[in-house]
Amino acid sequence: MNFSSKLIEGAVQAFATLPGIGRKTALRLVLHLVNKPVEVSEQFAEAILSMRQNIKSCDVCGNLADEPVCGICSDTRRDQGLVCVVESIRDVMAIEDTLQFRGLYHVLGGVISPLEGIGPNDLNIDALVRRAESGSIRELIMAISPTIEGETTIFYLSKLLRGKPVQISTIARGVAFGGELEYADELTLGRSIVTRIPYKMQED
Amino acid sequence: MFLNRLLLTQFKNYAFQDISLSPGFNCLFGHNGMGKTNLLDAVYFLCMTKSHFGLPDSSVIQWESEFMRLEGHFILQGKAEKIVAKVAPKKVKTLERQGVPYERLSDHIGLLPIVFIAPDDTELLTEGSETRRRFMDNTLSQLNPVYLRELLLYNRILLQRNALLRQMAESHKKNTALLDVYSEQLIKPGQYVFEQRKAFAAQFSEIFLDFYRIISNQAESAGIRYQSALSDHALDWLLRQNLDKDLALQRTSAGIHRDDLECLIEGMPVKKFASQGQRKSYLIALKLAQYELLRTSKGVSPILLLDDLFDKLDPQRTAQLLELLGGESFGQIFITDTQAARVSTLLPSLSKSYRLFEVQKGGIQLIAESPSN
Repeated sequence: MNFSSKLIEGAVQAFATLPGIGRKTALRLVLHLVNKPVEVSEQFAEAILSMRQNIKSCDVCGNLADEPVCGICSDTRRDQGLVCVVESIRDVMAIEDTLQFRGLYHVLGGVISPLEGIGPNDLNIDALVRRAESGSIRELIMAISPTIEGETTIFYLSKLLRGKPVQISTIARGVAFGGELEYADELTLGRSIVTRIPYKMQED
Repeated sequence: MFLNRLLLTQFKNYAFQDISLSPGFNCLFGHNGMGKTNLLDAVYFLCMTKSHFGLPDSSVIQWESEFMRLEGHFILQGKAEKIVAKVAPKKVKTLERQGVPYERLSDHIGLLPIVFIAPDDTELLTEGSETRRRFMDNTLSQLNPVYLRELLLYNRILLQRNALLRQMAESHKKNTALLDVYSEQLIKPGQYVFEQRKAFAAQFSEIFLDFYRIISNQAESAGIRYQSALSDHALDWLLRQNLDKDLALQRTSAGIHRDDLECLIEGMPVKKFASQGQRKSYLIALKLAQYELLRTSKGVSPILLLDDLFDKLDPQRTAQLLELLGGESFGQIFITDTQAARVSTLLPSLSKSYRLFEVQKGGIQLIAESPSN
C-alpha cells in the first residue's frame, strides 16, 4: 500500500499492531477517523490512554480493577466463602456471562508449564494460599482448562492446599448441553461415563 | 483386504499413473532409481497417512509440481473403500474416505493395516533402543487407540518434568512439590503402556519364534525379550528412588521411555554377534510376526510391502519365503526386485494369483499375469 501521507501511514501501522487487525482494516479505521470531527479522535485517544494509565490489578483476586480492589471482590452481596480459580481474566468474563455464579474469583494468570518457562512462582499462587489460610473461604472451585498442563496445575494447587480449611472441587467435564451423544468425541464421552453423577429428580 | 486400483498424480517421480492390481502377488521389476520403492510408498501413504521414510509431506510432491494426489480403491471385507490423499504446499494435508475428509488423520490409522519391509529396516537390530520402542508403538497403535493416547500423555508429562529438572538446575531452586506432581501424573499412563507392551511382547515372541524357525531352517535359536525397569519395580518406586540422579542428570532416568525389546540369537545380542544374512532372516521374522499379530487381532490380512527383500537371500531361502507368503494367511503382497527372473520363475507354481509389472522412469507396464486373473 502506498500512502500520500506519512501521518496516515503511521496511524495505519499503529492500528495494524493490534490483534485481529490487518492493514486493510487498519486503513478503513483510520479513514473513518479522518472523516469524523477531530473531537471523535480526541475522545478515542483519551479513552485508551486513561484506561491504560489507570487500570489496576485487584489486590485480592488479580482481576482487572479501577480501584485497588475490584468490583466483584468489593460486592458484599456475593458469597464471600466461594471462590472460583481461573486461568485468565477472560475466563472471569465467561463465567460472569453465565449468571450462574455469585461467588468470588481468583485469577492465576496462566497454567504451570516449564516447557514455556512458566513455573508456580510466575503465577498468582501465593495470594491464593493466603486467602485459603484466612479461614473465610469454604470452597475453591477449580475452573481450569482440561488440558495436561491444566491438570498439573489443579494437582499442584490441591497438594499445596492440603490441610488448609477449604474444600476443593473442579468443574464438571462431559458432554456438551444440547449435543448428541453420537457426536461427542470418545475421550469426553468415556470420561463422562467414568465420572457419572447421581440423577436428581426435579423438585416441584 | 486388498488394493484393487491405484491412481497416482504427481507423486514423487510419477506424473500420472493408473494401475489395476492383483489381490495376490504384485511384482515390480526395474533398474534402481526407476520408482519401484516410490510405488510402495504410495500404498503405505494411503494406509498410514504419511511416507514410510519419514519424509516431510512437501517432498512427496513431484519436482516442480503444484500438488500431489493419491487415489486408492480398496476392497475391505467385501466392501469397496475409496481413499484419497492430497498434499499441496501451504495447505492442510487431507485424507478422504468415501469422499468425506477425516477431521483427525490419526482416526484413519488402523483401518487398513499394513507392514513394510525395507532394506534400511536392519537398523531395527543395529541402532539404539528407540527404533525398537517405535516398532512396538507402531504395532500397538494400529491395534489399540487407547495405547496411542496414553503414550502421548506420558510423553507430554515427561517433557514437562524434564524441562522442570533443567530449570531447577539452572536456577538452583528446588521445587520438589511440583516435581512430585509430575511424578504422580506419569504413573497411570506409564503403568498402562508397560502392561500393554508386556502383553504384546509375550504374544509377539511366540509368533516370532515360529517364523524364525521356518525362515532360518532351524539353524540357530533366537529369542525376544522385553526389557523394562518396570518389570522389577513399580514406576512410583523408580521415580522416588532415582530422584537425586534425575536432579543431577537434569532428566528423568527411569521409565517406559527407556524400555527395549532385546533381540537375541544363540543367547547373544543380534546387534553384536549376527552375520548379515542372519540379520536379514531375523528382520523378516520380526516383520512377519508383526503382520501375523495384526492379522489375528484385526481379523483382516494386512497389505505386505517387500522392498528389495530377495537381494541378500540365497535361492533356497527365497523359494522358502515365497512359499510361505503364498499361503492362506497372507493376503496382498507387493514385491520389488531389480532382477525379474529371481521371483517370476517361482510364482506360477504357487496357487496365488499374480501380476508382473515393469517399472521404467516413472512409468509402469503390465508384462504378465497369472491365468486366473
